[in-house]
Amino acid sequence: MRTLIQALSLLLFSTLFVFATYKLPDWLPADIYLRVDPLLGINAVFAAREVIGRALWSLILIGATLAIGRFFCAYVCPTGASIDFLDFLFFRKKKRPGLKAEARLRKVKYFLLIVFVTAALTGLSLAFLMDPLALLTRLYTFFIYPLALTVINLTLDLLRPLFKALGWVTLSHLHYFQSVFYMSAITLLIFGGIIALNRLIPRFWCRYLCPLGALLSLISPLGLFKRRVNEDCNECMKCQKTCPMGAIPEDPKATRLPECIQCRTCAKICPQKAITFPASLSWGGEYSKVDFSRRGFIYSVVGGLGVGFLATQTPFTLKESKFQLVRPPGAIPETEFLRTCIRCGECMKSCLTNTLQPCLWESGFSGLWTPKMELRLAPCDQNCNVCGKVCPTQAIRSLSLEEKTNAKVGTAVLRKEMCLVWAENKLCLICDEICPYNAIVFRPVEGYRRPVVIASKCNGCGFCEQRCPVKGESAIVVVPNGEIRLKEGSYVKEAKKLQLDFKPDPGDDKFLLEDSGFRIEEEKKGEKGISPREKTQPKKPKGFL
Amino acid sequence: MSEWYQGMTRRKFLKGAASGIVLGLTGGPSFSIAREEVDLAVVSGDPAAATKKALEALGGISRFVKKGQHVVLKPNMSFTRTPEFGATTHPLVVATVAQACLEAGAQQVLVLDHTLHRAELCLERTGIREACKDLSGVHVLTLQERKFFREIKIPKGKVLERVEVMKEILDSPVLINLPVAKSHSATGVSMGIKGLMGLIWDREVFHSQVNMNQALADLATVIKPQLTILDATRALTSGGPGGPGEVKKPNLIIAGIDPIAVDSYGVSIVPWYGQTFKGRQVEHLLIAHQRGLGKIDIEQLNVLKEKA
Repeated sequence: MRTLIQALSLLLFSTLFVFATYKLPDWLPADIYLRVDPLLGINAVFAAREVIGRALWSLILIGATLAIGRFFCAYVCPTGASIDFLDFLFFRKKKRPGLKAEARLRKVKYFLLIVFVTAALTGLSLAFLMDPLALLTRLYTFFIYPLALTVINLTLDLLRPLFKALGWVTLSHLHYFQSVFYMSAITLLIFGGIIALNRLIPRFWCRYLCPLGALLSLISPLGLFKRRVNEDCNECMKCQKTCPMGAIPEDPKATRLPECIQCRTCAKICPQKAITFPASLSWGGEYSKVDFSRRGFIYSVVGGLGVGFLATQTPFTLKESKFQLVRPPGAIPETEFLRTCIRCGECMKSCLTNTLQPCLWESGFSGLWTPKMELRLAPCDQNCNVCGKVCPTQAIRSLSLEEKTNAKVGTAVLRKEMCLVWAENKLCLICDEICPYNAIVFRPVEGYRRPVVIASKCNGCGFCEQRCPVKGESAIVVVPNGEIRLKEGSYVKEAKKLQLDFKPDPGDDKFLLEDSGFRIEEEKKGEKGISPREKTQPKKPKGFL
Repeated sequence: MSEWYQGMTRRKFLKGAASGIVLGLTGGPSFSIAREEVDLAVVSGDPAAATKKALEALGGISRFVKKGQHVVLKPNMSFTRTPEFGATTHPLVVATVAQACLEAGAQQVLVLDHTLHRAELCLERTGIREACKDLSGVHVLTLQERKFFREIKIPKGKVLERVEVMKEILDSPVLINLPVAKSHSATGVSMGIKGLMGLIWDREVFHSQVNMNQALADLATVIKPQLTILDATRALTSGGPGGPGEVKKPNLIIAGIDPIAVDSYGVSIVPWYGQTFKGRQVEHLLIAHQRGLGKIDIEQLNVLKEKA
């Protein structure tokens, strides 16, 4: 029963994950798991110092835990389900040494929780490092999703001759776009480590490390359902040995309530059928305190504050608005963005073109795994606004397509010394061809028609940068200059105020020398130096004789 | 596998076959011999009706498509633009031709392009997938992976020696080009010949490494559509090829066997970038013409003009 619910929850998590992509229907909250996570909620609300609408969903889980107990870990948590499943796969038959320092280790998760919460109070978003849902979403995004695509495509390739023979046209041409990500390996290593720890003791992560588990365990003893052992108990200690959470102490009739996740493994294994989980309202009396030393508490608070201050007071912080980092459209101002983003990777998964990539050290410790636009790799498509839709803390605001179009992420800059047209007089025009906003026009300069960027029409989508045929670095790059980062309010209005216009407008592409706005006096000055071929360049659009 | 792309023999063969054996088999000459001499059919009207009429004017699609054949249609659906931008072929033109192919007994009709923008979005925004979704046997696909392409030699190539082309084109006996009439910031206009670039794998070399106009002529020596139907129901006269730009409404469908003649006529119907041009003034068309790939002077063509 429990396994079934776990499997269903993992399936739901995975399904929502798959749906988190272009054409995500507005009514479907694909990020729901991340929204109901109170640790991520507290982290974002504390760090950003304001109430975040979507984080309020976590009140559901808090309420449910208050009412029922710490059931989340055993039944709902997809990370727990993955751990249980992989545990079954790898370590089922292994004899595990067990740990002597259990009591002390058990406190680690509380210390971590305190570190994360105090770090959040200093404005550093850190819980993402160990929040199980952010962790699993990252693993899915950076490892499982690309791997799945590879496997699917390989399978398709393998079966292609068969599809062809059967005349299944669509299948024989099917190929899924292969998303690729930075930091896949490190994400996998972290998760692999979590699984490997199970070799020592089942659910090592959940028992000792998980800060979300720690948070839930603080309130779970108030819940309705509690483990009860009746007098049939013959103290065989079977339950104590099998409890995956180590929630049963030396006296098998007692229960460490904060640790109990109500998986009922003990009830099933008990030969005397002496264990039940009845509903009982019991205020106060049975609230078993978390054993927590004062010294440990102080250390963790100091640790959290220390990490917080260190990570927020670095050269990166001072350079914050001067990075060469292009953030996704709708990302709130950088300081708030770093505080609010929980690094789940959902935006990067959902990104239609695969331009969103995780940062490593580009903005320091406080910017790990935050999304950036890697425009040389892929552009941002003007018909897609899914990254904001799936952001559980709205560090990337959910915007309508029109608003998103106006959420300028930067401006394209032409590097003339590298441009094939400016530097080599080649017939290249790819940037102009691909620009969805006509922000790149060809204008006659010194007798030649040269590409020029009109900054007020460029919203930084990066089609030009990605498509530029120059090898290595692009001859046209999007820099964050001119980006619009709004915490609230309309991007359309802001763009209008700044006299920007990203609407289709053919007006500027008329190829009239007089209208070009360029003074071509240099042409006269340098006339001697110009070769005859150059001089005879007609005043005609490219391609016409 | 047919070797038609290797030379000019295919067209001659087709003409013979069309007027001879196959016509006899399909029930006698239902259209006059005079009509067969029509170089171009230029029909004005709304996209579907004009396309239908243009096909009839050329002697019916069965002149090109035989029972049981595989047909490839090559519209321009390279951009995530809706039809009113004029950057992509009108979905009804594609659907009408696809339908006609089916009616002529085609076993399979593939509507193919190698898109510049993200493929799913192109299929969605251009409306072409939607327009063809009820036609069974018609598949609208984009081929974005190198494995769907195969390298061929260009024996008469001046700047290109070899090129990787969609396998489906090489393996299908019939290719019908369905370009849209639009301006192009490097080649002047982008119509049938320029549209061939949607059938190859690596088009970046065209821009960065070789003279694009010569390369297009090279390409036209190996990829020879049996029929070109130019969608000039709208013409993107500036801002091409992707738009946004000025969209005029000539409301014309221009169809013909000679790809240069079709393009050349297309150049003449509207001013481009505010200037009137002839086909001869478009560099890649002129080069292709000079290399014997088709007629460029529309005054010498037998043009059948009709209204749908």
